[in-house]
Amino acid sequence: MGTETNRPTYTVEAIPSDITNAVFLGNPALDNVVSCIIAMSAEMWASKRRMKVLESLLAKKGVTQDMIEGYIPTADESAAWEKERDRFISLAMGPLANDGFRNIATGFPQR
Amino acid sequence: MIGRRQLFGATAGALVLSQTLRTEVAEAAAKMQAFPGSKKSYLPRGVDGRLARLGTLDLESQQDFTLGFRLMHGKELRKASAAAFERVLEREEIDPLTPLTHEQVRRLVETEPAINLASKAWLANQQVTWKTLRDHFHSKADFYLSEMEAADKSGPGVLELAPDLDIPAYARHEIHIQPGGYVGDPFAGHIYHYGTNSFYISVIGHNEQDQVHKATASRLPTPEDGKVKRILDMGCGIGQITVALKERFPDAEVWGIDVGGPMVRYAHMRSRRLGVATNFAQRLAESSGFPDNYFDIVTSYIAHHEMPAEVTRNVIAEAQRVTRPGGVYYPVDFNSGGIKLPARQMYSRWYDHRWNNEVWSLEYHSINFTDEIARRGFSVVKNAKPALPGFGVRHTVRV
Repeated sequence: MGTETNRPTYTVEAIPSDITNAVFLGNPALDNVVSCIIAMSAEMWASKRRMKVLESLLAKKGVTQDMIEGYIPTADESAAWEKERDRFISLAMGPLANDGFRNIATGFPQR
Repeated sequence: MIGRRQLFGATAGALVLSQTLRTEVAEAAAKMQAFPGSKKSYLPRGVDGRLARLGTLDLESQQDFTLGFRLMHGKELRKASAAAFERVLEREEIDPLTPLTHEQVRRLVETEPAINLASKAWLANQQVTWKTLRDHFHSKADFYLSEMEAADKSGPGVLELAPDLDIPAYARHEIHIQPGGYVGDPFAGHIYHYGTNSFYISVIGHNEQDQVHKATASRLPTPEDGKVKRILDMGCGIGQITVALKERFPDAEVWGIDVGGPMVRYAHMRSRRLGVATNFAQRLAESSGFPDNYFDIVTSYIAHHEMPAEVTRNVIAEAQRVTRPGGVYYPVDFNSGGIKLPARQMYSRWYDHRWNNEVWSLEYHSINFTDEIARRGFSVVKNAKPALPGFGVRHTVRV
């Protein structure tokens, strides 16, 4: 994402690096997966850290860590959270169960 | 979150340093908050000592992650990579201390998963560092451009920009794979500053508080006659050591010059915010435009390994021209010399050169920087102390 502007930026065209074309792991897809994992981890940590900020602010308003830890969800909340948990796990971990055995060069199987 | 105290460890020396840091941080924060321009629009999330806090909590957390990942990488992944290296060398019956060329090392590790995974992960983390920062500054481009425009023409200190400067090709590379490098992105200075905060992750000090630069500036030698009226920092980047030098020598005229317009713009804006009257100009180090014999001290901070060997020689010649007889020339940079190293060190050097895009680092290491200086009108002071421990000692005096 760059910036289009008529204002002076005192820039010239840079010579780009070719880092995104590098294959370290023998398979470019594997390289891409590692990049995704690290980017996703940064996002996840940002969320966790925001949660810590929220907890600190809540504590100042009288909602303590003990209250958070000891909170018992209502039955409706439990049901909704379980549904959300299962959706999350299915999305994040479901691909582990993919049954991959076809070489990508093969055609459609006989039906 | 990786806290400052964790970084410093629990040694007695580190505790003293940590207390000193807390005092310095509090003083710097008070000073920055008192700065007339520190309205909410300038510092949306306040300050952390000498650092204007990043614009959003999420961005700050993403940078916190990349710093933490670097720390983990330095311990765990590097260890795994080192173990793999040992196995390769054993398999190939190579003594680990045998000096090798980078071509030899590259062939050895080409298909070693643990080594390559460590390399890939380090670079992916580096890319996340830059991308998150770049996306943020560009998403609020109007805000940040206006901030720089407001600072461009106001002091303390002056800023000279050179929109017509013919920027040489060697300076246009995306060093450290920073998108746009130092010359191609309007927010190159912002991105560089916050991105490099995770580069300094050991006990040598906190980048965001300029600790390394201040310590280096405090150790820079002065001319024997004690006269320090003018100082030049060549290839100053965002001016961290330039500012630190002005703070050490408040009565001196201090200049920082750099090829990157966005870099000196940011340097000036930041120096101004810190209340330090440093001067910055967009100029080439090899053609600085200052009069002969003008400076008492000429320095640079880790700039020379980012330029071709021939340019380094030209910059030394320029330093010789602008340093007065008896003046000090002390460019801070890595130890240099030697194109063969034991396998692991050579791999690190090559990998940094090729994939972290340190385009000129192998050229830098192909010459003996100190000898090059000695050949160009400077005498090398014997038994001098390092301005930055672990780096080359280059205390030289203009003949």
